[in-house]
Amino acid sequence: MAFTPSTACCKPSLALAPRASSRGSAARAQAALLCTPSTSAFRGLRRPASAAPAPRWRRSAASTGIVCGKVSKGIVPPNFTLKDQNGKPVSLNKFKGKPVVVYFYPADETPGCTKQACAFRDSYEKFKKAGAEVIGISGDDAASHKAFAQKYRLPFTLLSDEGNRVRKEWGVPGDLFGTLPGRQTYVLDKQGVVQYIYNNQFQPEKHIGETLKILQSL
Amino acid sequence: MYTLTPRCHLQPVRRSPPPSLSVPSRADRDELRSTWPQRAWTLAGTAAILSSLSTSASLVAAGSSSPAEPLAAALAAYSLADLATGVYHWFVDNYGDASTPVFGAQITAFQGHHRHPYTITFREPCNNLHALARGAALALTPVDAALSAAGSTSAAAHAFVGAFAACVVLSQQFHAWAHEKRRRLPPGVEALQSAGVLVSRAQHAAHHSQPYNTNYCIVSGMWNGLLDRYKVFEALEMVVYFRTGIRPRSWDETDASWKEDTGAENAAAATAGNDGLLQTAGISSD
Repeated sequence: MAFTPSTACCKPSLALAPRASSRGSAARAQAALLCTPSTSAFRGLRRPASAAPAPRWRRSAASTGIVCGKVSKGIVPPNFTLKDQNGKPVSLNKFKGKPVVVYFYPADETPGCTKQACAFRDSYEKFKKAGAEVIGISGDDAASHKAFAQKYRLPFTLLSDEGNRVRKEWGVPGDLFGTLPGRQTYVLDKQGVVQYIYNNQFQPEKHIGETLKILQSL
Repeated sequence: MYTLTPRCHLQPVRRSPPPSLSVPSRADRDELRSTWPQRAWTLAGTAAILSSLSTSASLVAAGSSSPAEPLAAALAAYSLADLATGVYHWFVDNYGDASTPVFGAQITAFQGHHRHPYTITFREPCNNLHALARGAALALTPVDAALSAAGSTSAAAHAFVGAFAACVVLSQQFHAWAHEKRRRLPPGVEALQSAGVLVSRAQHAAHHSQPYNTNYCIVSGMWNGLLDRYKVFEALEMVVYFRTGIRPRSWDETDASWKEDTGAENAAAATAGNDGLLQTAGISSD
C-alpha cells in the first residue's frame, strides 16, 4: 500500500511515511491532523503563471533500490543565493557560525505548508533560544512569500527557489512518484555540516519537534 | 445640532463583491415532491438493477455458479460503492461550479445541500433518487447486456454491477437518513447506522462542519476513516494543484454560498411553528 510507514532512511519516496536520516532511527506514520483552511487572496484562482511549473523529479535508484539525496548527513551542502520575501538576495553562507534549519516545502498557501509554517512560527522562540535560524524554501516567487509571511506573521526567512534549482541540487526527493515537491528539512550545525534530515509530506508539524530535538543536542 | 448630508455628497456605499456562485435559495415545497418523469427514471433504474441481480440469481439457480461468488461480489461492490461515492462527492464539493459541463447541475445541488442540509429529508423518494437512478438505467443496462452478450456465465459479474448500482442509487437515501431525526427514521435504520452498515448521522455530521473536507463517503462510510487518516484527498488535491494550478474549495475559507444557512433557519424557527420544516441544524441531535 502506498501509505505504509517506512522505517529506512533515504528510501524512495513512494510512501507517505516520514523519513529521518539521523542515528538510523525513523519515525512511524501517525494519524495526521487536517489542515485548517485559510482565507486566501488566491481562492478560486489558478496558480500564478510566474510560478515555476511542477518539475519532473529525476529519480535515480541504486542497485539496492535506495535513493539518497545529493545532500546527506555529514556533508556541507552547496551554497546558494536566493531572494527572500522582500526581494533581497540571501546566501546560505551568511548563516555560518550558527545552526540553521533549512526546510523545503511544496508551496505557499497550501494546507500542509501553512500548518508547517505556523508551527515553525509558534516554536520560533525555541529555535532562537537554541541559537538557530529558520529558512523556508519553495518555488514560489518573492511576492507570494511576502503575502504568505505577512498573512501568517512568519518571523523567519522565506526564499524563492526559482525553477526549483536548489531543490534539485540538494536532491530533495519528490513524493507520489514525483508528482509532488517533497517536504524535507535539513539541520545544519555551526560549521554548516548537515546533521539531520527529516522528510514527512503529510505530517508537517512533526518537522518542528524532530528538528528541535536535534538542535538541543548540537 | 445635526446636519443632513445631501445624498450626492455621501460616499458611495461599498458593497462586497457578489459571491462567485449564486447563493442557492431554500427549495420551495413543490420542488421536493416527486414528478412523473422522476418516478419513471427511478422505476427504470430500479428495473435495471433488479434485472442484473435476477440474472445473477438465475445463473446460480441454473448451477453455473455457487452462491458464494455472487455474494462476495455483491459485498465487494457495496464496499467499492462507498469509495466511489466518496470520490465523486469530494470532486463536486471542491471543483467546478454551475457552469461546469456535465457536472454543473450536480455541483449546484451539492452546494444547495451544504446551504440547507436538512432539506434532503423532505424530499419524496423519487425526487431524491431519480438522478442517480437515471444514471443506473443508462449505464447499467448496456453493461449488463454486454455481459450477457459476451456469453458470460459469471453470476458474480452480474451481481457486482447490480449491487454497485443499487448502492450508488440508494446512497442518496442513506444520505437522507444520515440527516434525519432519530425518531423519524424507519425501523431498523438506526441499528444499521450504529452497526456501520449505513453511514451514521454522527459521521456525516462531521462532513457538514467547516472546512467540509472529511467524511465524504455516504454508503456505509467504511472508507472515511482510512481516507481521512491517510489524507488521501489532500494528496489528490495537492496533485491537482501542482498539475493544473486549481485550488480546491476546502483549502480556503468557505464561501458564503457553500456555508450552511443557519441564520434564515433560526429566524424562521422564531416566527413559525412547523416542526418538520424548522430545523436549525442539518443533523438532528436526538
